[in-house]
Amino acid sequence: MNPFEIMDCSLLIRMSGLAPAYNLRELRDRIAVCSPDVLYHHFCETPLSPTFEYPDHRNDFAVWATRRLSDKILAERLGAVDPYACPSMEGLREVVLEVIDERLSEVIMIPWARPGHEFYFMEATTLVFDSGERVRALRELPDAIGRMSNGSIYFHFLEAQRRPPVGMDDFSNWIGGFGKTGAPYVEALRRIDFYFYTLRELRKELVRVLEPLRGKRS
Amino acid sequence: MNIQQYEPIVGIPVIGQLRRLGERLKGLRVIHVNSTAEGGGVAEILAWMVPLMNDLGLDAHWRVIAGTNEFFSVTKAIHNGLQGYSVLLKKRDWDVYQDVNRENVTALKDELEEADIVVIHDPQPAPLLELCTRRRGRWIWRCHIDASHPSRSVWKGLKPFVEKYDASIFSMCQFAQMLPHPQYLIAPSIDPLSEKNIDLDDHELDTVRQQFDLNPGVPTLVQISRFDRFKDPVGVIEAYRMVKKMTPVQLVLAGGGASDDPEGKEVLDAVMEAAEGDPDIHVELLPPAAHRTVNALQRIADIVVQKSTREGFGLTVTEGLWKGKPVIGGDAGGIRLQVVDYHTGFLVMTPEGAANRIRFLLHHREQCGKMGKTGRELVREYYLLTRHLREYLTLMYALVGKTTEHTVMV
Repeated sequence: MNPFEIMDCSLLIRMSGLAPAYNLRELRDRIAVCSPDVLYHHFCETPLSPTFEYPDHRNDFAVWATRRLSDKILAERLGAVDPYACPSMEGLREVVLEVIDERLSEVIMIPWARPGHEFYFMEATTLVFDSGERVRALRELPDAIGRMSNGSIYFHFLEAQRRPPVGMDDFSNWIGGFGKTGAPYVEALRRIDFYFYTLRELRKELVRVLEPLRGKRS
Repeated sequence: MNIQQYEPIVGIPVIGQLRRLGERLKGLRVIHVNSTAEGGGVAEILAWMVPLMNDLGLDAHWRVIAGTNEFFSVTKAIHNGLQGYSVLLKKRDWDVYQDVNRENVTALKDELEEADIVVIHDPQPAPLLELCTRRRGRWIWRCHIDASHPSRSVWKGLKPFVEKYDASIFSMCQFAQMLPHPQYLIAPSIDPLSEKNIDLDDHELDTVRQQFDLNPGVPTLVQISRFDRFKDPVGVIEAYRMVKKMTPVQLVLAGGGASDDPEGKEVLDAVMEAAEGDPDIHVELLPPAAHRTVNALQRIADIVVQKSTREGFGLTVTEGLWKGKPVIGGDAGGIRLQVVDYHTGFLVMTPEGAANRIRFLLHHREQCGKMGKTGRELVREYYLLTRHLREYLTLMYALVGKTTEHTVMV
């Protein structure tokens, strides 16, 4: 079995070049044309962004809807959109536009944000680098995860869902290679409802779930 | 100063990540240029950033341009104009701006043209780029100012100097302007081991209490900031007076003047006038090196106030949160990123709003403790220098590699 290669990553956020949205109609129009990286940033990269850790919702569109548009119905619906359940960013775009279009058809006046509270569209470059560290046996994995940076946790557990095999994190992929010994842990990892965890909480949960591996021989 | 000292505060993974980035940028020659060696947030940031970049293996340097009083009056006007204040700059003012940069370039030209990365901080040294015609590295303009609603004429005058840069950095998305190059977003940070933020013992706090004649039995409100109209110190006094009608309280307004800020005295005079006759208002003009005193005052505070009407990022808010204090902040600039209602403090827009929130906190002490704890963890995660340094190194790597791809494998 090849050792698990611990990668690390760092996010560099930049403006997307799109004009900010002042109301829900403009938000819809920009989402319709923005690059997939913009959608990915506002839905999936929020745990790595410097922002308050416990917002009402995990994606930036839902947070904006609740805080700036004061539209809780829209915020709840957007907040329920799970980006990891969508097969692609284009699929996610369709779901989000459907939610917004539905809301636009319900409201009499288009919700708007006061000046200074516009929605700014951003994207990021993820710089991925090899930490040089390797995990060679299952029993070493819990401790290794406990020492990982937030960037490593993000890369191996969240960003991994986007890479082939799509929808699977790197830890499960590696543990799965140990056959029957690893199978219960793959299942345990699959059950983690990670969307609302901060990266620190996620690391703690991963260590907790994988704790029994410490005693394994392989 | 070395990065290892921060490991007990931020943890092993964070330090390891910085070391790995440093290895990949080993020997990269980086020069930071600004216009003041002391006073103000920029000088404070560079004082730790340059040595730590060197500790991580880069070849980093800090240069300060020299200027005349007239130059600093012009650049202060540019600064105010970028913050939205109505200012009138004549052709002669822009000439002074360029002339002083021309005088400075003589000494700096060779090393700036040879550097791999040049980071120009704020508008003062911005014209250096076009004066270094044989530059071979990548040039970044770092705007620390809240330029969300700049005076049109000032931005029109400044834009030709900054649009030729390879990239710019703003503290928040709201501050970014349309420019023909990538605009990156990097929030500033504080150094937890600096004199301004390091832990202090009770004896030192008592000494500062005595020095400023503060009553230990009365709740203390503290606003630390330059005497600048955008920090609204007079508004803080108004809020204090409203609170004092209902409950005993004392106020400290303390801050220094930066060497590039000629307006400070004017604002200080207005504050002294507003505070006159009240022995519980302590207005203190502190020397630039009074970091430990500032630290003590923030720790003495029951509530930290930063009622700015315009703000770049608001490092004094970060400092207050790091010391476990709830913060009453103006709903402006980077304060919005740090102060979250009912979690780390309250955002306010008026002296009345500030007074109400202060009264609420003074009567709900258990909330103060909870908010203080949340605020400290928020700062540990996102607003310490380690995160700031990581983002600079990542940007430098991306710029040297000339990439804006979504994922870059190193």
